[in-house]
Amino acid sequence: MKMIKYLKIFENIDRFLITLILFLLIIGLITLSSASQQNNSLLVGQLINISLGIIFLVFLSNINPKQFILYAPHIYIFSLILLISVSFFGFESHGAKRWLNLFIFNLQPSEVIKITIPLVLAWLYHRFQNTINYKTHAMAFFILAIPCSIIFKQPDLGTSILIFLSGLIVIFLSGLSLKFILASIFSFLVSMPFLWSTLHLYQQNRILSLLDPGRDPFGTGYHSIQSMIAIGSGGLLGKGWSYGSQTQLNFLPEKTTDFIFSVYGEEFGFVGVVGILIIYFVILYRCIYLAIRMQDTFSRLITAALAFTLFSSSIVNIAMVSGLLPIVGAPLPFISYGGTSMVVSLSMIGIIMSLNSNKSLIAN
Amino acid sequence: MDLYQFKYAFRQRLSFLLFLIIVTFIILIIKFFYLQIIQFNTYSSLAKNNSVKIIPIAPIRGQILDRNGEILAANKLIYTLELDPKRKQSLDNIKLQLAPIVKITKYDIKKYNKILRESYHSSTIPIKVNLSPVQVANFVSSQYKYPNISLKHKFSRTYPKQKSGAHFVGYINRINNSDIKRLKKLNNYQSYRGLDHIGKTGIEYFYENILHGTPGYKAIEVDANNNVLRIIETIAPKHGDDIYLNIDYKIQKVAEKAFGKYKGAMIAMDPNNGEILAYISQPSFNPNLFTNGIDEVNWRRLNNSIHKPLFNRVISGVYPPGSTLKPFVALAALENNIRRPPFSIMDEGFYNMPNQSKTFNDWKKGGHGEVDMIKAIAVSCDTFFYGLGVELGIPKLNVVLQRFGFGSKTNIDLPNEKKGLVASAKWKKNKYNKKWYQGETAITAIGQGYTQTTPVQLALATSKLINPNKKIIPHLLKDDISPKFMRSANINRVSVPNQNLSIIKKGMSLVTKEGGTAAFIGRTTEYNISAKTGTAQVFGLKKGEVYDEKNLRDELKDHALIIAFAPSENPKIVIAIVVENGGHGGSTAGPIAKKVFDAYLTENN
Repeated sequence: MKMIKYLKIFENIDRFLITLILFLLIIGLITLSSASQQNNSLLVGQLINISLGIIFLVFLSNINPKQFILYAPHIYIFSLILLISVSFFGFESHGAKRWLNLFIFNLQPSEVIKITIPLVLAWLYHRFQNTINYKTHAMAFFILAIPCSIIFKQPDLGTSILIFLSGLIVIFLSGLSLKFILASIFSFLVSMPFLWSTLHLYQQNRILSLLDPGRDPFGTGYHSIQSMIAIGSGGLLGKGWSYGSQTQLNFLPEKTTDFIFSVYGEEFGFVGVVGILIIYFVILYRCIYLAIRMQDTFSRLITAALAFTLFSSSIVNIAMVSGLLPIVGAPLPFISYGGTSMVVSLSMIGIIMSLNSNKSLIAN
Repeated sequence: MDLYQFKYAFRQRLSFLLFLIIVTFIILIIKFFYLQIIQFNTYSSLAKNNSVKIIPIAPIRGQILDRNGEILAANKLIYTLELDPKRKQSLDNIKLQLAPIVKITKYDIKKYNKILRESYHSSTIPIKVNLSPVQVANFVSSQYKYPNISLKHKFSRTYPKQKSGAHFVGYINRINNSDIKRLKKLNNYQSYRGLDHIGKTGIEYFYENILHGTPGYKAIEVDANNNVLRIIETIAPKHGDDIYLNIDYKIQKVAEKAFGKYKGAMIAMDPNNGEILAYISQPSFNPNLFTNGIDEVNWRRLNNSIHKPLFNRVISGVYPPGSTLKPFVALAALENNIRRPPFSIMDEGFYNMPNQSKTFNDWKKGGHGEVDMIKAIAVSCDTFFYGLGVELGIPKLNVVLQRFGFGSKTNIDLPNEKKGLVASAKWKKNKYNKKWYQGETAITAIGQGYTQTTPVQLALATSKLINPNKKIIPHLLKDDISPKFMRSANINRVSVPNQNLSIIKKGMSLVTKEGGTAAFIGRTTEYNISAKTGTAQVFGLKKGEVYDEKNLRDELKDHALIIAFAPSENPKIVIAIVVENGGHGGSTAGPIAKKVFDAYLTENN
C-alpha cells in the first residue's frame, strides 16, 4: 500500500511524453560530455539542473490546474519584479544584462517569463471567455508588451522576440481576427523608428551587431562560419562521439550552451540531426494532441502555447547555428547547458501534464 | 463569441500553426541536407585543413570639416612598398634590390624597425611610403623581380591646413601597445582589425568612435602555401562618418593672422550656445608629421622646444587671469552687497592693508581719482579691488568664481583639459602647510594670486555673464550635422540678479570707450565692444625693482589677456585671449580681438 501511495505522485505523468523528454536529456548529456571534453564538473552541474527540473516537473504535474488560474496574475507580477530587479541588481555577461545572482545559482528571469506569459494570457482569455472582444486583445497585448520591452532594453533582442512570439501564439489561438493581427504587425513596424530612438547609442550598436554580424566580423560572423563548417563536415553519419575536430580543437564558440547543436551535428551527422528534429516534432505533436483533448479554454491555450514556445525556441537555436538566422543568444531546450533554461523547459512539460490529467476538473 | 465558435476557431488556428511548424521543419531539414550532404566535401576539407583565413578590409576614416565644409583632415591615396615581417628578409638586401627604383634611406629602415618593434601590425609593414607616380610606374613594370615586396595603395591621413588648427584637429598615429591595452579595456579592440592608425589628440582622439568606422572582412580558404583557393564570404567595411566642426575657418585664418608670431592662446565662441568659432594655440606644429610615424629628429625638435608647440594652451594652459578676473570679483561683491554703486573711493595710487602691514600699488602711479565699481572695471583700478577683496574675504569670492566655472573643467570635447585652480585657505594649507594671509586675498581680487584659469574657462565664464540662465558647454562638434555625441554640462545655470549683471556689463562696455583700458579698439569700431583687459605678472618684482618692459627678457615679460564680447547689446561672439609675454592686455590682445570681431560680425551681417 505504501508503495502505491508513493507512486501516486507519478500518476499524472504522461508516459509517452516523458519517454521522449528523457531520451532528449540523455542525448543532451552525451553531447555535453563531448563538447566539454569530458569536463566532469560541468556534467555534474547539468545532472543537478536536470534533477531540479524533474522535481519541478513532478511537482507541477500534481498541482491542481485551478491553482494556475488563481495565481496566474500573481506569478506574472512576481516575474515582472524579477525582470525589473535584473536592471538594478543584475550582472552583465556577453554584452547583455540578463542574470540575477542568487548566491547558490544565477537566475535568468527572461527565461522564467517564457512560462509566465502563456499562463497569464490564458488566464485573461479564460476569465473573459464569454466576452472576448477587442478590449481583451488590447489588454493581452499590453500584458505582453511590458516584459518584452524590458528584455528588449537589456538588450536581449532574441529572447524578447521569442517571448513576444509565445504571447502572439496565445492571442492568435484565442481567435483574434487576422486583419487585426496584420494591422498590429504593421503598426509595430511603423513605430520601430520611435522605439529605436529611445535606445542608447551603445544599445543600438549592440542590436545592430546582432542583426548584422558583419559589424562584428571577428566575433559572431566568425562563429557563424565555424559553426557551419562543424555541421557541414559532419556529413551523413557524423564523425562519431568525441571525434568532432571543430569541437575538440576549440574552433566552436559557446559549444556547451548556444552552439551545442553544432557539436551534435558534427559528431552525429545528418541522420542524427533529422532524428533529433523528429523527436522535437513528436513532442510538439503529442502536446497538441493533448491540448485538443482538453475540455476548457484555459488548458488548451496554455498547453498549445507552452508547446509552441518550446518548439520555437528550439527552431530559433537550430536555425541560428546552421546560418539561417543571425546569431542571437538563445539556448536549445533540454540540450544546452544551463540551469534556468533546463528547469523552465521541464516545468513547462510539468504544467502540461497537470492540465492533461485534471482535464475534467475545470470543465465548464 | 460562444464556446462552440471558440473551439472551432481554436482548432482551425492550431492546424494553421502546425502547418507553419511543418514548413520550418522542412526548411531546417533542407538546410542541413545542403550543409551536410551537398556541401560535405567543401566543409570537410575546410575542417581538415582548418584553412579558413579572415582577412580584414579597412574602413576609410571620416573627414573633419569646418562649419562651411572646408576640409581640415582628409585622406589621400598613397602608394607604399611593404614587406612581410614573417619572411625575415635582410633589409640591406631589400635596399640593394630596390636601389634602381627608390632609395631606401637609413631613416626608412629605422622607421621600419620601430614599427616592427613597437606597433601593432596586421600583415605587412611599409619600408617606403608615399611613392611618386614615376616610382610606382617603375616598380610595376619590373614587379616580377620583387616577389617578396608588395606595392600597396592605402589612404593616408592628411591635414591640408598644416599648422593651422593643429591643436583642436589633433592627429593620428600608428596604434601602439598602450592603445591596444586601452582598446581591450573598452572591449573595442576587434574593430581595429586591419587598421594601423588611431586618433591620438584633439578631435581625432575625442571622436575616434565616429571617425574610424568598422572594418569589413573577407573569409577565404587557402591551401598549405597560403594561396587563395576561393572566397567564402565578403562583408564590406562600414566607413567612418565625417565630422563637421563649429569652427569657421575664415575666422580662424583671420585670428591666426592677427595673432602673428606671438605665443599664447585664443578661443572665440558663440555665447548663446557654446559653439567654438576659432581656436588658436601658438606655437603650433604640423600634424602631417605624425601620420606615418614621426621621425626622431622632428619628435625631439617638437618635444624639447622651450616653446612647447605640442602643448594645447587653450585647454591645458593655466594662467593667472590678471585683471580679467575683476568682473567676476565685482559680481561676488555685489552679491554680498559690498561696494555697490554709488559707493566710491578716492584712489591715490596705493592701498594700505587694514592693519597697515603692507601697501599694494595700483598699476597707475598717482591713482585714478574718484572711482566707483563701474569705473574700477573700465580703468581696471587695482586699489578699488584690493579693498573690495579684503572686505569680501576669500570664501565668499570663491563661491561666485566656482559658480562661473573657475576651478572645474568646462567639458569641452577635447582630451586633457585642465581644471585650473580656485585657491583657498584650505588649498594652501594642504599644498604648502601655510596659513592664508589677508594680503593674498587682496592680490587674488586683481587676479594675481594663486588662482589660475585656462583660456576656455575664461571664455565660458564670460558667456555666463551674457547668458546666466543657459547651460553652455564649449564644443567643437557641430551637433546639428554630425551624430549626437555630446558631453553633459559641468557648469549649470547661474542665478545672478539682473541689476548686478548690468553694473558689470556697464563697466565692461566702458573699457573700450574713452578712458577705458582698451579705448583705442573702440574708437574705430562701428558696433560696441565690451571687454576686460588683464596683465598677468610672470615673475614678482623684488622690493625696489622697477618693471622695465624694454629691457626685460622676452620670457619674463607679462602675459597680456583680454576677455571680450560684441556687439555689447546683443552679443554674438565671445573671445578670450592670452598672449604669453605680450605685455599689456589692452594694447597686445585687444587688437587681435577686434580683428576677429570685425571678421565675424561684418561677415555675418
